[in-house]
Amino acid sequence: MQVSTNHPDKAQRNYSFDMESLVGYILLTGVLLSVVLLMVGFVWRWVRVGNLQFEHSIVGMNFFEFILSSLRQIASQAFRPRLFLNMGIAVLMLTPFVRVLASVFYFAFAEHNWKYTLFTGFVLAVLTYSLFLR
Amino acid sequence: MSFHIVFFISIVAGFVGAMSGMGGGVILIPVLTLFGMDIKHAIAVSIVSVIATSSGSASAYVRDRITNLKVGMFLEMFTIVGALAGAAITLVSGRRILFILFGIVLLSSWVALFRQRKEGWRQATHQDVFSRWLELEGSYYDRSVRQTIAYQGVRSYLGGPFMFGAGLIAGLLGIGAGALKVLIHDLVMGLPPKVSTTTSNLIIGVTALAGTSVYLAAGMIDPGLTAPIILGVVSGAFVGTHVLVRLTNQTVRHIFLGVLLVLGIEMLFRGIWGV
Repeated sequence: MQVSTNHPDKAQRNYSFDMESLVGYILLTGVLLSVVLLMVGFVWRWVRVGNLQFEHSIVGMNFFEFILSSLRQIASQAFRPRLFLNMGIAVLMLTPFVRVLASVFYFAFAEHNWKYTLFTGFVLAVLTYSLFLR
Repeated sequence: MSFHIVFFISIVAGFVGAMSGMGGGVILIPVLTLFGMDIKHAIAVSIVSVIATSSGSASAYVRDRITNLKVGMFLEMFTIVGALAGAAITLVSGRRILFILFGIVLLSSWVALFRQRKEGWRQATHQDVFSRWLELEGSYYDRSVRQTIAYQGVRSYLGGPFMFGAGLIAGLLGIGAGALKVLIHDLVMGLPPKVSTTTSNLIIGVTALAGTSVYLAAGMIDPGLTAPIILGVVSGAFVGTHVLVRLTNQTVRHIFLGVLLVLGIEMLFRGIWGV
């Protein structure tokens, strides 16, 4: 085992603007935002109707159509508890997706590491394809 | 199923999952089916909550700079393809087979936890050409021993294909399959234990998303059911990791082992003798 007694700050100075913080904050923001949206949906439903049962499903839509339909409802200001639930789930699903997207850009433009740009690009392509599935 | 029951089950699953380090799905799915939920639906909604728990904990580990992003991003290529295949298989396979497979996974996790290897991690001495080409090395600051530990990943040509298998199981059964991923990092790629667990956390999120996309396309993600599960599992996991500052108590471990064993046998029996 190679062991050195460097202070952690010294070891960390090797990372310039780091990918670690970028990835970490994307994940944190995504999960928190999703949880908040879901809670708003449930609280609103409870205040308005007095129960927490939602009976709707997402059928015949792929992920991007699902997001588009949510955005359209936001644009037309058709805010309903159900919309918040859908947005919460959409944001959660977008979180790892955005993380991969950011990694592609980071490897390409900040690190100029083409090997890993290709790897993350492959992951992004497969995920995009699968989210277009219907 | 009513909101209260689903929410309560999810809190318990998230809590137990976080404390045992096994993730929520392994408890959530068998219990949901006990309450009468169809196993395919339980798998579909559970895998969405896996995105939440893994991303939540990964965010902290990544910022602590323990996670090896390159190892994670290389192995993700294999797990996502595996997860897509696994989820597609679940859609067409019989329910009894899923029960049996789930039972087998539960029982093998039981065996793995029961035997829990106590050997220390040993640095791999020689890095193969492929792993060097992949730049799979790193270092992290270990707070418990107050040292920076440097390591090299090895045998990535085996790690990749094995990870396809881990992704397959994750997509097939709607779980994170974290224990399996950690095992591959540990035994095949020679990563230190802390790097293994945290890197597997990062991979699980993307893998679960790939699985989710298949179930979403099949119209199996029902927001009214998925949302309370996400909220429940996340809050349960939060309490499990933050509020109770880790009960490394033997009793907790024994209870968890007992639960795993009972659920494993129950799933296996339901698969063999019909639901």
